[in-house]
Amino acid sequence: MNALPLARGRAGGAGLVVLAALAAAVITLAVVAVTGKAPASQAQQVQQIAAGLHCPICKDLSVADSPATLAQQMRQQIAQEVSAGESPDQIRAGFVAAYGDSVLMSPPRRGLAGTAYFLPALVLLAGLIAAGALLRRWLRTPRADPAAADSGPPLSAAQRRAVARAVARLREEEPG
Amino acid sequence: MTARVTGRITRRRATLLATVAAGVAVVVALLATGLGRDPSAVASPLVGRMAPNFTLPQLDGQPVTLSKLRGQVVVINFWASWCTECQTEQAALNQTWQQFQDSGVVVLGVNFEDSTGAARDYVRSDSVTYPVVEDAASHTALSYGLRGVPETFVVSRSGRIVSHVIGPVDTTALSNEISAMLPGSQ
Repeated sequence: MNALPLARGRAGGAGLVVLAALAAAVITLAVVAVTGKAPASQAQQVQQIAAGLHCPICKDLSVADSPATLAQQMRQQIAQEVSAGESPDQIRAGFVAAYGDSVLMSPPRRGLAGTAYFLPALVLLAGLIAAGALLRRWLRTPRADPAAADSGPPLSAAQRRAVARAVARLREEEPG
Repeated sequence: MTARVTGRITRRRATLLATVAAGVAVVVALLATGLGRDPSAVASPLVGRMAPNFTLPQLDGQPVTLSKLRGQVVVINFWASWCTECQTEQAALNQTWQQFQDSGVVVLGVNFEDSTGAARDYVRSDSVTYPVVEDAASHTALSYGLRGVPETFVVSRSGRIVSHVIGPVDTTALSNEISAMLPGSQ
């Protein structure tokens, strides 16, 4: 007699679990759809921030890649600040305040360093304009006719008459 | 007509050449400026700003807080027992401390990337007379933008960083700088 309500209760519990799992999946998908990527874990955030910072005592290594003690300490500090709820921008700003813009792996989009972003495009545009102007000029210039170049300057009417007379004379002299 | 056309072409060529020459000159000037600069001697952005505050323990455990030293000139010297250049400047720092400790000047050694035992041995054997604190997790070093040791920051009586020295300090230069910051100096 009690078996049926128990079975119903179990079925209801399983249904709730499935519903909860579906809801979690939908929320995750919605977050991914809105942000474009899955929310980064704390370790991933530390890695991302460290990868954007230049190791101050290394030649060409990021804080994420450098084995130097200072870089390790920077990674530890980043982890502590991430745990404390600081945003990546706030953490980067702290390092920039101490080390200057040179601590950033990519130059900032302001000041003289900002020219690195638009100068290549500007140079490319200038090159395209110059190439276009040269091409236009080349297409407009009349090309010399090689046959015309071989035949020499055009003959005057008197010269043509003289040539005609000479040809007629030669034909008359020809036998048969 | 031909002369006018020729003149126009010459002028156009001259303008083109001048533009190219100006571009080349700008690139050469930028390269000359960049190549002439020592990449390791990057100016600290902290000079002119308030010195980041810290509370660090001395080798005997007594804490030192920078903000509590406001009103005095503070010479913050980052050093390590394994650093040879730090030994080079040791005499200069001792001399500065002895010369100015009664005039409202504090010389403060901040031990960087070192062990407490090695730091204590160094302080004892090299007769370091001024207070020394330990920056075990390097938080203070990072907040001062440290790239290596020795590095020295001179903090004014109002708590502002007035100078930053990378490498060993010079006794005369440091002494002159401190003298200029003391009351009664011009």
